[in-house]
Amino acid sequence: MKSNLKRRAFVFACVAPAVILFTIFMVVPTFNVFRLSLFQRSTFNPEETFIGLQNFEMLMKDAAFIRSMQNMLLLIVMVTIFTMGTALLFAGILTREKLKGQNFFRIVFYIPNILSVVVISGIFSAIYAPDDTGMLNSILGLFGGKNIAWKGEQHVMTSIVIAMVWQAIGYYMVMYMSSMAAVPESLYESAGLDGASRVAQFFQITIPLIWTNIRTTLTFFVISTINMAYLFVTAMTGGGPNRASNVALFYMYEQKNKSGYGYAMAIGVVIFLVSFGLSALVNKVTEREVLEY
Amino acid sequence: MKKIIALALALVMALSLVACGGGGEETKAPEGDKTIKVAAIETAYGSQVWADVAAAFETETGIKVELTTDKNLEDVLSGPMQNGEYPDVVHLALGRPAGLTEQLIKANQLHDLTNMLATTIPGESTTPAEKIIPGFTATSATNPYGDGKTYMAPMFYSPCGLFYNAKLFESKGWAVPTTWDEMWALGDLAAAEGIALFTYPTAGYYDAFMYALMNAIGGPEFFNAITNYEEGAWDSENGQTLLSILDKLATYTHKDTPAQANNQDFTKNQQMPMDGRALFMPNGTWITGEMADYAATLGDTFAWGMTAVPGAGNAPCSFCWIEQAWIPAQAEHIAEAEQFVAFLYSDKAAEIFAAAGAAQPITGIADGMEGEQKMFYSIYDNGATSALGGFAAFAEIPGVDTSNTFFAPIDSLVSGTMTIAEYADLVKTNSALMRENLLG
Repeated sequence: MKSNLKRRAFVFACVAPAVILFTIFMVVPTFNVFRLSLFQRSTFNPEETFIGLQNFEMLMKDAAFIRSMQNMLLLIVMVTIFTMGTALLFAGILTREKLKGQNFFRIVFYIPNILSVVVISGIFSAIYAPDDTGMLNSILGLFGGKNIAWKGEQHVMTSIVIAMVWQAIGYYMVMYMSSMAAVPESLYESAGLDGASRVAQFFQITIPLIWTNIRTTLTFFVISTINMAYLFVTAMTGGGPNRASNVALFYMYEQKNKSGYGYAMAIGVVIFLVSFGLSALVNKVTEREVLEY
Repeated sequence: MKKIIALALALVMALSLVACGGGGEETKAPEGDKTIKVAAIETAYGSQVWADVAAAFETETGIKVELTTDKNLEDVLSGPMQNGEYPDVVHLALGRPAGLTEQLIKANQLHDLTNMLATTIPGESTTPAEKIIPGFTATSATNPYGDGKTYMAPMFYSPCGLFYNAKLFESKGWAVPTTWDEMWALGDLAAAEGIALFTYPTAGYYDAFMYALMNAIGGPEFFNAITNYEEGAWDSENGQTLLSILDKLATYTHKDTPAQANNQDFTKNQQMPMDGRALFMPNGTWITGEMADYAATLGDTFAWGMTAVPGAGNAPCSFCWIEQAWIPAQAEHIAEAEQFVAFLYSDKAAEIFAAAGAAQPITGIADGMEGEQKMFYSIYDNGATSALGGFAAFAEIPGVDTSNTFFAPIDSLVSGTMTIAEYADLVKTNSALMRENLLG
C-alpha cells in the first residue's frame, strides 16, 4: 500500500511539469484565441466589447482575407504535391538503384533543410532578380528567353512554391529512404523473377509498404506548410507586391496591428479550423489496410 | 481514474502558479529617487545620442533614466505594453509598418502634451513652444484628432523629395524639371536612351511623395480634403489630375520596380537612380547614409541631388517627414516624463542631436549644417512649399487601412494588373469608410 502511494507520488511528480507547461502555453492560449475572436479589442486598449460572430461576418466579406486563404491553400496543395512526389522519386532512386555518389546526393538534397529561411530567401533573391543579373533570367537568356519578374505580381506565388519545395525535399526524402531501406530485399527479388519492371516494383511494393510513413508525413506536411508559408512570405516578399503573396498567417499578423486583436484572433480561429479539418481529411482519405512484412 | 486525478491535481497546481504570478509585487524605486523609463527607436542617428541626452537630463534634474533603444522597438515594447507595463517616454514615429503609434492613437492611449509645450525647459528659461518652428505643432503629425491638442512632440524632421544622380544630369545636360509637363518631356528623352524616368524603393515610399504631390496640385486645401477623406475629393478637378499623374507615372516607372519593392530587395531599386537605370526616386535625407557603401563604389560618376515634387497647378512641394516622441496615457511618471520631453528641446540636447546629424524643428537649427545636409535642408529656400501631416486617424476598420488602400496598389498600377479606374474605385470606397470612422 505504502509503495503504491509512493509510486503514485512519483508518477504525479513526473507528469506534473509537462501538464503544467502544456496547460499554460497551449491550452490557455488556444482557449483565449477562441474567446477573443468574439470580442472587439484593440491591441493596446484592454477594453473588450463582446460582438458575437461579427468578426467572422466581416471576414467573409474581406477580399484581402479571402485572397490570403486562397494563397495558403494553393501553397498547401502545390508544395505538397511537388515535394512528396519528388521526395518519393528521389528516395526510390537513391535506395533501389546503384548510383555513384549516393551519399553525396543525400547530403546535397538535405542541406537546404538546415539553412534558415532568411538565408534561403537571400539565395532566392539572387536567383529571382528581375534583370539580367538574376540566375534564372540569365539561364533563360541563353535560350533566347525574355527576362521574367519572378517576384512580380504574376509569378510571385510560383516563385514561393519553388523555394518551399527546394527547402523541404531533402527532409522528406531522408524520411522515406529510411523506411524504404527496411523493405525486405527478397520481395524485390521475387518480383523481379516474376518479370515486374522497376516502375511496377516501385508502385506495387515500395509505396504500399511505406504507406504508413507517407500518411504520417503528409499530415505533418499540411500543418507545417501553413507555418512555413508565413516564414517564406515574411522573408521573401512581405506579402507583396500589393498583397499578391499574402498568406493567411501573415494576414493575421498584419491585422493584429491594423484592425485589432479580436479580428486577428478570428482569422486565427479560421486557420485553426481549416488546418485541423485538412489534417483530418488527409488522414481519412489516405486510410488503407496496414501491410505487414 | 488515477490518471484523471493526477491530471486534475496537475491542473490545480498550474492554476495556482498562474494566480501567484499575477499577484507578484513590483520592485519600486525608493521615494525621492525617481526613475523614468525612456524607449527610443535606434535609427541612422545611432543609440549613443539617446544615452548622452539621458545623461545630460540626469545631471540637470536628478531624475534617473532607464533607457531602452532598439532598431525594432515595437517588438521590444508591445509585449510588456499589452501587460500594462508602459514606458514613460517613447520616441517612435508614425508610418512604421508595425504601426504601434497609430494603434495607441486609435485607442486614445496618448497623453496630451499641450501643457508640456508651455512649461519651462529644465535648466533654461524658455519653453518648447517658443523654440519649435511655427507650424510644426499644427498638423495631424502631432495633433492626430484635429482638436488643436498636441499629443506627439515633433522631434526630428527631414525633407523628403525626389532623389537623383546630379552627375548624370550634368553629363547629359538635362535640367531638373519643376513642372510635370517638363517631367514627362524629360521622361521621353531618357526613355530614348533606355533610362526609366521613375522608380521607388517600396510602394510605402509613396506616402511622402503623394502628400507632396497633392500639395503641388491643389495646395493645402486639396491635401486636407484627401487626407480627411472628404466626399468628392477624388472626383474634383484636382483629384482627377492626381489620378492622371499617378496613372502616367506608372507607365514611366522602371518595370523591374514592383518585383523588388519588398523589404529584402528594395535597396536594388534604390541603386537604380544611382547607376543610371532610372532618373528619380522618392526618398528622405537618410538615403545618403543608407546607400553610402554603394555610393563609394561609383566614384566620380555619382553625386546625390534632391528636388521637390514638381508642380502641377501649384508650386513644387517637399513633404517634411517628422519623427515623434510621446507619453503613453498609462505611463507611471507623467510629470517627470513631461520634463524629459521638454528637456529634449534644450540647447544641450539640441547640440547632442545636431552632432549626430538629427535635425530638430528648432528655429535656426539648419544654419550650422554643411555639405549634402545643407543642400537637403535648404530645399524650402528655393521656392518649394512644405507639407506636414498625413491621413487623419480613424477607428479600426477590419481589413481596411491607409497603406493598403492608397499606396500598395501602386505596385499593381505599375505591373499593369490594375487600371486607374479600379484604383479610383478602391480609394473612393475606402475613403468613405474611413470618413464614417473618423476619430476626434
